[in-house]
Formats: sequence, structure tokens, C-alpha cells
Amino acid sequence: MLHYLRIWLATARYSIVRTLMFRGDFIIWSLVELLWMTVNLLLISVIYEHTKSIAGWSKYEMVLLVGTSMLIQRFLMGFFWSSIFEMGRNIRTGYFDFFLAQPGNVMFMATTRKLDPDGILNSFVAGAVVIYATHKLGLHPGVGDVALYLCMVLSGLVVHYSILVLSIAIAFWLTSAQGIEGSYFTLTEFSRLPKEAFKGVVTRVLFVWLLPVVVISNAPARLLLPRYGFDWKWAGALLVFAAAWFALAVFVFHRGLRRYSSASS
Amino acid sequence: MVAALNKYRHAFLVGLQSNLVYRMNFAVRGFFSLFHLTVVFILWGAAFAGSTNIGGFDFAQTLTYFVTLLVLQFFIGAFNEDYQISEEIRNGLINQFLLKPINYFAYRFSIYLAARLVSGALIFLPLLVAWPILGGYLTFPHEWWRLALGLPAIMMSALIQFSIAYCFGMLTFWFLEIQGFVILSMAVETVLGGQMFPLDLMPAWIFNIAKFLPFFYQMYFPGAILSGRINEPAQIIQGLGIQLCWVLALLALNQLLWVRGLRRHTAVGG
Repeated sequence: MLHYLRIWLATARYSIVRTLMFRGDFIIWSLVELLWMTVNLLLISVIYEHTKSIAGWSKYEMVLLVGTSMLIQRFLMGFFWSSIFEMGRNIRTGYFDFFLAQPGNVMFMATTRKLDPDGILNSFVAGAVVIYATHKLGLHPGVGDVALYLCMVLSGLVVHYSILVLSIAIAFWLTSAQGIEGSYFTLTEFSRLPKEAFKGVVTRVLFVWLLPVVVISNAPARLLLPRYGFDWKWAGALLVFAAAWFALAVFVFHRGLRRYSSASS
Repeated sequence: MVAALNKYRHAFLVGLQSNLVYRMNFAVRGFFSLFHLTVVFILWGAAFAGSTNIGGFDFAQTLTYFVTLLVLQFFIGAFNEDYQISEEIRNGLINQFLLKPINYFAYRFSIYLAARLVSGALIFLPLLVAWPILGGYLTFPHEWWRLALGLPAIMMSALIQFSIAYCFGMLTFWFLEIQGFVILSMAVETVLGGQMFPLDLMPAWIFNIAKFLPFFYQMYFPGAILSGRINEPAQIIQGLGIQLCWVLALLALNQLLWVRGLRRHTAVGG
């Protein structure tokens, strides 16, 4: 475990040095993420100019939900996004060999190679949005609530990570996983909606339970709202989803690894 | 004149063929936009549950607006033209155009038109699939003048869309990597172009400022004419005038960036 922590710290050091070399790039990408987060908040703000509730959720409850969804997404962007996407390209070009020769689990080495400090920086902004929303709602979550909230956010991160690894692992079979990026972003749009808004059976089964993007963001947000509070069903569902999706990702990744035949694979 | 146009006709036909090769990609992208429409349907459906009209329009009219915008996006939106131009500059592929009697802007615009013809035609496939659910909600106004005024607006919107992408492509003369700029601008265009929400729902003073920005005429303006969010012909004609000014200004900017950029360009090799 300590061995992996040391590897990860070396990776983090490398990523920070790299960022310091390309400072302009870092500023531009930080702005990009910041602007996209603003766009999502703007949408909420405009809709609530004309209505009082969306599926029973008030304006700042929605801000809390969107903030939570953004927080999970920023963590994903900051810690895993670049590595996982490069993995798809590396499988195609054969550069993936590099990870096979490294001193550690291949999935760990390949998916944690690069950190994006702009994503990590913006996770503070997303966190600030969540804090602002709780303040506006007059909520005073205790230490236990905050710890549970963070656990749920981390569980959500595990699910997102696993779905992304699974999507990119397709490259082991198809050699190309291009176009996944766009579809992933479409999927995250659903995570900014309250579960109560899903009225149809098909959308509910598909986006709430089969691809649990809605549960991931709704569960931690509901925990902080007094009218919902802590619910074992939601917390349990989230843990089961995280364990199941991660196990599936590990299984599929290692099955795919067997098919990997280096360059021109 | 005919000979000159003939060159670009051939560029258009070649563009058509090469884009037909990628028809599956466009079709898949089209089907993925159904997910976006599902989000729009769920979010706005929930918002309308609390009030029968938002900004003076009902749910069906709002959904019609978003569907119109989706179709327009596949017909006139600049997908990856900025990256293509950027790649041609970075790899030195534009060198060949400097030696030939061909206008690079007109050449790229011909290919853009061909690409949008293919993607535009293919967006009807997913819409056809969604028709059993969507069909009942679409309520397009019937006035003939909307088409007469909407078509020139669409054509000028296409020019604005392409010109903005072309400008970003030209930035490659100065910056090696333009992806950050493009995505940054995409966020602004998504909001001020009306793709996130109908612009008329914004506070009046912001809406009035937005009317003078080029983004307003990229997508919202033709979309609002066709879906009935703008109802005064006089207002539309005034809008067409502002849109024309932006077209001319962007064309001039394109030319300026091209001339200035070429001064910095170094053509290496044969």
C-alpha cells in the first residue's frame, strides 16, 4: 500500500512540475472548467427566474445537487481523466507496453499516471458552490454528515472511474475508443437532475439504476437536506454500485489485457 | 467566374464523398444528441410542472425550440472545422494552397457545406426514431414569412459559425495548441447562442446586450424565427441587418488573420 502511495506521490510531483512548465495551458484549462461550471449554474439560475421548483427541489437545493455533481466530476477530471483517455490511445498505438513494464498493478499505473491540477483546483470551486448552497439553505451539517457526504462523493467517484475505465477498455477489443468523451459528457448531464424528475419507467431504469449517474449525485445531496436526511437505502445502494462497478471494471480491464498484443494491436 | 466557382464545386464534391465515409460517426453523434434531448425533456418538463408557461411559452413551444436548434446545429454548426484548419497549418498542409490559384477560406467553406449537408441529413434519423414520443409536442408556427426571413438568417448563421471556427483555426499561426481557446469559446457560444436555454428567458437587460453580439446570430436567431419565439417581422429585419454586419466584420477579421498569420508562417520542405 505504501509502495503505491510512493508511486502516486512521484506521479503527482511529475504532474505539478509539468504544469509549472506549461503555465499558460494551466490557466486556460482552469478557465475552461470554471466557465463550464458557471454555464451549468446559469441554467439553474435562469430556470428559477421563471419557476419556483423543479420536481420539488428549490433553487438552492438544485445548486447543491449541481455542485455535488460538479465536485465528483472535478475529482474525476483532476485525478484520472487524462490518464484514462491516454490509455485508449496508448492501447491503439502500442505505447501501453510502457505500463506493463512498470513496478505495480497495470490498471493502477495506467489510470493514475497523470494528474490535472486545473481539475483539482476547480474541485475547490465546486466545493465552494456546495458550501454556498448549504449556507443559503440555512443548513448546518455536523462533522458526521460532512464525513458521510465525502464518503458518498468518493463512492460516486469510484463509479464514474469504473464506467470510464470500462468504456476505454473497449479499445482492447475494438482498438479504438474514440468518441467516448462526448458520450460520457452527455451521461453526466443526467447527474445534474433530481431523481424525482425521472417520471418515465425507461429513463428511471436506464439512468437511475442501470447507469447510476443520478444516484451518485442525488445520494450525497439528499443526505445534507433535512427533508431527506440519511437514508440507509441510498447509502447502501451507492456502496453496492461502487463495489459492483469497480469489480466489473477490474474484471473487464484484466480480460482485455490478455488480448493486448502491443503495437498495431 | 464560372471557372472559379467550378473549383469550389469540385472541393464541395470531394468533401461530400469524404464525409459520406464518416456517415456512421455523424449518425452515432446524432443518436447521442437524443440523450441531450432526453435531459432537456426531463429538466424542462419538471420546470413546467410548476407553471404552465415560462417566459410566455408553454412546454411544447420550448421543446420545439430545442429540437429546432438541434436540427440547425447539425445543418450549420461548426463541428471540428477549427481543428481541421489548425492541423493543416501545423502540419504544413496549407503550403500547397499558397502555390495554387485557390482561396483557402472558400475551399474550406465548400468542404464545411458538404460536411453539414451529410450531418444535417443524418440528424433526421434519430429524430424519426424519437418521433412517436416527440411528434406530439412539436408545434411550429405556420406563417410563410418565417421561412422567407428564416432562410437568409440560417445562411448568415452558417457564415458566422464557420467564420468563428476559421478565426480559431487561424490562431494556430500564433499558438501551437488551440484546443483550450476553442472549448473556452464553446462555453460562451453555448450560453449566448441559446443552446443552454432560450435567450429570451434571460433578464431583459442581458438579452438586449446579447442582441448585439455575434453569438446571438449563430443559432438562437434563426431558431427563434422558425420556432416562433420572435414574432415581429420588423424586429427580424432589424436582426438580419445586425447579423449582416457581423458576417462582414467576421469575414474581414478572417482575411486579416490570414494575411497577418501568413507573415509568421514558415513553410518547410517540399
